[in-house]
Amino acid sequence: MLLQQLVNGLTLGAVYTLIALSFSLVMGILGVLNLAIAELFMLGGYFGFAAILAKLPLPVALLAGMAGAALVAAVIERVGYQPFRDAPVVTPMLSTLGFSIILQNVATNIWGSDPLQLPDEVFGARFTLGPVSASAMQLTIVGATVVLVALLAFVVQRTALGRALRAVAENRDVARLLGVSAGPLTLLAFMLSGALAGAAGVLIGLHYAAITPYIGVEIGLKAIAVMVVGGTGRIWGALIAGPLIGVAEVMTTAYGGSQIRDFVVYGLMIVILLLRPQGLLGGARTEQGPRV
Amino acid sequence: MKSGLSRALCVAGLGALLIATAGPGFAQQADREIVLGAIVPSSGPFAEWGRANTVTLQMIEKQINGGGGINGAKLRIAILDDATKPAQATNNLRKLAGDDKALAVAGPLTSSAAEVTFPVANEMKIVATSQASSKPGVAKLNRPWAFRNTIDEGVLGRTTVPYYKKSFNIKSVAIIFDAKDATAATVGSRIMPALMKENDIEVLNASDPLSFNTGDLDVSAQVTKMKALNPDGVVVSADYSQAVTVIREMKRQGMIKPVVGSTQLISSAILKAAPEIPIVAPATFYATMKGDKPEKFVNELQPLLRKTSGLPPEIEPSMYDANIYEIVSIYIDAIKATGVTGKPEDLETDRAKIRDYMAKLAGFPGLGGPIGFNDDGDAIKAFYILQGESGAWQSKVRGCSAAPGHPGC
Repeated sequence: MLLQQLVNGLTLGAVYTLIALSFSLVMGILGVLNLAIAELFMLGGYFGFAAILAKLPLPVALLAGMAGAALVAAVIERVGYQPFRDAPVVTPMLSTLGFSIILQNVATNIWGSDPLQLPDEVFGARFTLGPVSASAMQLTIVGATVVLVALLAFVVQRTALGRALRAVAENRDVARLLGVSAGPLTLLAFMLSGALAGAAGVLIGLHYAAITPYIGVEIGLKAIAVMVVGGTGRIWGALIAGPLIGVAEVMTTAYGGSQIRDFVVYGLMIVILLLRPQGLLGGARTEQGPRV
Repeated sequence: MKSGLSRALCVAGLGALLIATAGPGFAQQADREIVLGAIVPSSGPFAEWGRANTVTLQMIEKQINGGGGINGAKLRIAILDDATKPAQATNNLRKLAGDDKALAVAGPLTSSAAEVTFPVANEMKIVATSQASSKPGVAKLNRPWAFRNTIDEGVLGRTTVPYYKKSFNIKSVAIIFDAKDATAATVGSRIMPALMKENDIEVLNASDPLSFNTGDLDVSAQVTKMKALNPDGVVVSADYSQAVTVIREMKRQGMIKPVVGSTQLISSAILKAAPEIPIVAPATFYATMKGDKPEKFVNELQPLLRKTSGLPPEIEPSMYDANIYEIVSIYIDAIKATGVTGKPEDLETDRAKIRDYMAKLAGFPGLGGPIGFNDDGDAIKAFYILQGESGAWQSKVRGCSAAPGHPGC
């Protein structure tokens, strides 16, 4: 059972990683916690479901979820962030919280509050190795997470676009003086973040084969914990912290009791905040300012 | 000729006098309004139930007003959304009782909301009857104004568990419940373990309760743990939308074991989760119920539900639609039978008349059989043990919430 629980924890951790990255991208560049990301994750799931129900293949569903969530993220950036860019940091955060509630209501009105279910699991095949069993979809989730994290790391660290993003993250005004267009880059950061959340939504929606307008709430909070543990704005930090939190959560449920699960997860977050506020991969403690 | 003319003038004069004196009265009668309140969750996690309840209430309002109203007065049902939030339900009740001057209130839906709303109903001296709350003792703690048109889960379980045991040869079970849901937590942690013990069924995780929280997407760890225990069956105590997550995970992990639960499981959505897993749960109404009354109700309501935006195109009337329909029907009957005037100056007396009528009610013709209320404020009515088979609920056993031979059943 231990190995099986480890597989369960890694799958859950992979999802947390993708959503934490989504939070991290906006947080790292703009220092803003976009609370609507949990709902972008949920919307991605619905867009992916729609594509699968229309008999489209998984890659198309994934792209549909990413594109749909990225477009909604662009609206959030234009309406919920740009007008409040110079306001205190809590203002855009509250604005994204408003968006989060609106998106939940929109989803309830369009798809209803009942779970939307797929008749059969996508990639329902299971692979068994001794006492451990994993579905093809679980393996796809873990694989897709690693690929997306690597791709994002490549874009941010090795391309001109990434350099520009990092420049804006370091100092927006200096970046502008150096010819970097901060406005479009901010929009791009929101859209990339939305696409990641959308991808997570599609993968998870298809894995559990059932989604509701409220799936983003709990999972979004856990993803914020992952972001904090990994190091706010650290891409590779999320890849380590996601599985760590996922496995800790699953093992607590399995061996410690479901009642103390959240105590362990959020307790770990508080311990990290107290002992290493920059996160596991947050670099030296003296290092200040956002990082991508 | 002269006497004929005088007689005609007299008749005309008398007529004019009658019109002059009774005319304004008729006009007042036509303008008079009987206001009932309703609290339903039209948004939030149980929006489907709340929206279907709203359509049901609008249907009965239209039916009553189409038939001439109540004692000549027009019926108005003021419907407020509580989004399944207890605090909002309480505010709604205050508004309905204070601002709308409702004579009685149907709702709120959940036990969590009823637990905080019923004390306010007592304080404001207005009858409130829940259409879905089934956590033991919620109305009992708030007498004399709180009622529930539902049956205590403990009473239902006494028929459900023996049927489940016999049908699937159950000797052991694992129990999993939603720790954040008031009814689910009570059923999963107290009622079901006790009922299993009464029926000589071993609870394999008795010392290690398995739970999850409302909104959890991943229950793989809990299901892996249950699977390792290898029980004959599984008790899932959660509302249907959460139970879908557990049942889907059981299917994913190849744990095809019969499931038993409370009235919270009854929905068409849960039958789609894993048709190969049998599900047993009690209900006081189901859409395929036979009989003139239930069939008429379904035939009238179902088309309305299906053309309402925000509801699934294949939706069927639920037990909670039937319950709220019965609640309003009982209120209307009370208003007619006890001479409720609906006048502002009689508000307190009118509300008390409805309360007293409810307390003494017996044999009211409900959709699934006669309805009355016991001393705890819970319904005395028939119930059915349903089994989910091939995507549909089938009735297996008929029971009654009163003692055998009680006139209420």
